[in-house]
Amino acid sequence: MSKRIIHTPEGVRDIYGKEYTRQLQLQETIRNVIKQYGYDDIQTPTFEFFDVFSKEIGTTPSQELYKFFDKENNTLVLRPDFTPAIARCASKYFMDETEPIRLCYLGNTYTNTNNLQGKLKEVTQMGVELINDDSVEADAEMISLVVDALKASGVPKFQIAIGEAEYFKGLCEEAGLDEETEKQLRAFVSGKNYFAVEQLLQDCNVSEYYKEIFLRIADIFGNMGSLTEARALVKNERSVYAIDRLEKLYQVLKLYQVEEYISFDLGMVSKYHYYTGVIFKAFTTGIGNAVVTGGRYDKLLGHFGKQAPAIGFAIVVDHLLEALMRQQVPIQLKKQKHVLQYDPNDEKDYVNKLQECIALRTAGEYVELKAASSKS
Amino acid sequence: MNCDTYLTFALGKGRLANKTLDLLSQLGIRCDEILDKSTRKLIFVNEELKLRFFLAKGPDVPTYVELGAADIGVVGKDTIMEENRNVYEILDLGFGKCKMCVCGPESARELLQHHERIRVASKYPNIAKEYFYDKKHQTVDIIKLNGSVELGPIVELSDVIVDIVETGSTLKENGLAVLEEICPLSARMIVNPVSLQMQRERIQELVAGIRALQNKEF
Repeated sequence: MSKRIIHTPEGVRDIYGKEYTRQLQLQETIRNVIKQYGYDDIQTPTFEFFDVFSKEIGTTPSQELYKFFDKENNTLVLRPDFTPAIARCASKYFMDETEPIRLCYLGNTYTNTNNLQGKLKEVTQMGVELINDDSVEADAEMISLVVDALKASGVPKFQIAIGEAEYFKGLCEEAGLDEETEKQLRAFVSGKNYFAVEQLLQDCNVSEYYKEIFLRIADIFGNMGSLTEARALVKNERSVYAIDRLEKLYQVLKLYQVEEYISFDLGMVSKYHYYTGVIFKAFTTGIGNAVVTGGRYDKLLGHFGKQAPAIGFAIVVDHLLEALMRQQVPIQLKKQKHVLQYDPNDEKDYVNKLQECIALRTAGEYVELKAASSKS
Repeated sequence: MNCDTYLTFALGKGRLANKTLDLLSQLGIRCDEILDKSTRKLIFVNEELKLRFFLAKGPDVPTYVELGAADIGVVGKDTIMEENRNVYEILDLGFGKCKMCVCGPESARELLQHHERIRVASKYPNIAKEYFYDKKHQTVDIIKLNGSVELGPIVELSDVIVDIVETGSTLKENGLAVLEEICPLSARMIVNPVSLQMQRERIQELVAGIRALQNKEF
């Protein structure tokens, strides 16, 4: 007899029973919150042409994409995240639309990460994209939506860190760094690797003055005070504008009454390069990854032929579920199923139980009808 | 953060751990239990300061920190480079200084001048790969070894090795020399990005304390 394979490959898994019930319930809860903000559902295909997720777009690095060929030898990719796919889709169907477009999605994403690191290769993501709106009110709507979604999910404590991609770019421009140095510096600053920042800037003959500043910005994170501090460090318009934007954002967030969940982190940079303005991540205890990541991407739709600003975020449902589990947040199942048993040797009993069952189902209850086993 | 949450440290076993505990004790953070060689306990708790410590094999430290099983880790730069995990590398602790080098017999120096294929033995295949492919643009066969890498060129398993060099005495005794330096190394403190957000004050205080100590020494 040949050997049967019944386990799943590394990084993917079966989700069933209580865990899956919980996941579905969580998704429904969050979807409700998203719908309350007036977003419309959209579904894009699980795989697309490689170009949608290529290097120019700035999503997951090519070696972490699952790639394969179609019959015409085109390279196809299992989506690593939704944003480029939605951007493509919006550029196609809403080419001439100038009014804001609110879209939300739910689905699985795939990244071919290293083995044996305890990381999932397939995760479920839920998110929203708000296109054709470059206002600070749109930024605030995103963050408030994240707060409401996380509150509804039941996590007792979480924190949203907000940064601005432009602040760092402006500062690099001011200091006269070339593109290659900026790229390296971005990696070091986002890794809070102070030592390497110092080394790199020394090697590039950057003045002591800017060295100090770059070392400081990796450190600037916290409340509103950190924005004042960050503003004092820079002289260029781009960075100052970024701080203005964050201050305005904070004012709008106060109207939403969500400011207690907010902190600023100007050293934060995302691994996705398509972000152009406000970027944010939500953290909670019990899990080593951010549960939500998002930001503004005003240039991405341009790659697909529509010049339109946009902002969005994705909740990694698997990470959020793990955090809930680790924090021992109890599951409150909305509805329990009834189990009705009939005596298989008694035809009348079956008829009675069936009647009962139909009545319950009509009343909207969940009912499992089964023959009583002879063992019990 | 409620203060009944522990701050957990993963320390690379051996000299690094001892040096780290020395440094922490200067800040008034003590965990004497861990120094007791006869103990078989795996995790050590300082209830007063709400700290937990455990010892792990070097290459495992970034894993514990990335996945959030430990908030803070202390480990050599070599391990951080080799493992390439998503952690904040927040502090150069300044001890455990050494260099990552390409070593071999003098006769192998010539082989590094051209782009021809050579064999490289190392405990650090990722570092070796990155150095030869991305910096030197040389095609190499990398052979992963788990220790006594110096044997490689001696028994002609490989042309050169990529390894840590501290004093160079092992190399010299075996007729090998440093042919190229890849980068300097030392002990680093790494932090889980979520922990830095969620336990910001405690971690910043600790980092500021260590920085102050370092400045005093210079």
